[in-house]
Amino acid sequence: MRLWKGLIKKPWPYLVGGIILAVLNIILFSVSGKPWRITTGFLYWGMGIIEKLGFDNTNWYYFSVYGNQLNEGETFFNNQYTILGLSVIAGALIAALLASEFKWKIIKNRRQLFFGLVGGLIMGYGSRLSFGCNIGSYFSAIPSFSLHGWVYGIFMFLGAWVGCKLLFKFLL
Amino acid sequence: MASSKIQELKKQRQLSNKRKKNQVIYGVVCIFIVVLIYLFLLKNNFIYSFIWKIGLLIGFTLQKSRFCFTASFRDPIMVGSTSILKAIIIAFIISTIGFAFIQYISTGGNFNIRIEDIPGQIDPVGVHTILGAILFGVGMVIAGGCASGTLMRIGEGFILQMVVLCGFIIGTLLGGNHFEFWDKLLIRNSPTIYIPHYIGFPLSVFLQIVVLIALYYVADWYDKKNNIMMTM
Repeated sequence: MRLWKGLIKKPWPYLVGGIILAVLNIILFSVSGKPWRITTGFLYWGMGIIEKLGFDNTNWYYFSVYGNQLNEGETFFNNQYTILGLSVIAGALIAALLASEFKWKIIKNRRQLFFGLVGGLIMGYGSRLSFGCNIGSYFSAIPSFSLHGWVYGIFMFLGAWVGCKLLFKFLL
Repeated sequence: MASSKIQELKKQRQLSNKRKKNQVIYGVVCIFIVVLIYLFLLKNNFIYSFIWKIGLLIGFTLQKSRFCFTASFRDPIMVGSTSILKAIIIAFIISTIGFAFIQYISTGGNFNIRIEDIPGQIDPVGVHTILGAILFGVGMVIAGGCASGTLMRIGEGFILQMVVLCGFIIGTLLGGNHFEFWDKLLIRNSPTIYIPHYIGFPLSVFLQIVVLIALYYVADWYDKKNNIMMTM
């Protein structure tokens, strides 16, 4: 019971989280052949959605270069990224429920809505330029010994600094 | 005056804690559902079932440890705390060792092969990396979450992060659509630099770990010097 309380009810230290995430990423890499990535999955979902809306999504240049095409047997909704993205949401949901911390948190005002949408938009756009997000081009790229991971980390920090300045000016 | 206010806030917090409903039963129902999905995937596609399992553990860990990449960059700037950044550096040290093993085994120790044949996230580096990273850094601070944080907070019930996800999807669509322009302008002329091709594999692993340990100590020193939450 005490173990249950410690593991399920109380938050874990950051360090424990970091160690477990590193080990999980190694296991994922060794079994599936690819380390953890997220944002390419968002693009796939977007492509699936515009297909459903009736837009022509064939012949995109993006999918003809750098091995960006779908693997055989995959669709924009049925692929590794979808499985991984949904399972991360489900895992967080279970953790929140078991600790009785789940709560619908509504959007406070229009400004928050605007910043959320714009923030998401430029993160998405940026991730296409740099071949990934904070996971694919940073958390999984630095351990892959690719120089772009280090460059990405340094300039994401610079971007975060600019973002903080903007936040102070417009939000707080 | 100040302390009486704190007392009042504490009382309010305790009251709201008591009012907080026990959600364990819903959690158990969710576990039941994800196990069913796991069994379904296991029957159809072993790799998917495995990824599903790892993803659940990643989501669980992210939520339990409040692991936030945005905060790891924002907190040193705003409040001088580097505790999450230090945890990420430790994660990098562990995954560097793990990834090194995987790359070593899969290439059989011969690294003089095409970069495409080396497993991992190895991509072109150049001005496009810098632009993308700055855009991402700005975006994650003003949206209040990165890619992993957005998924985690959707699981916690944040409506805002569902909006961020919509923005994310639109942004990746626009970026993907404009990719030809960026490729011809910048990416095509950029090299893909796999560090072991330049300084050898053993030295790459060793140097990377040394640099990460050094960064850990810098972060630790910075925290002790600047953290305004130290007194708590």
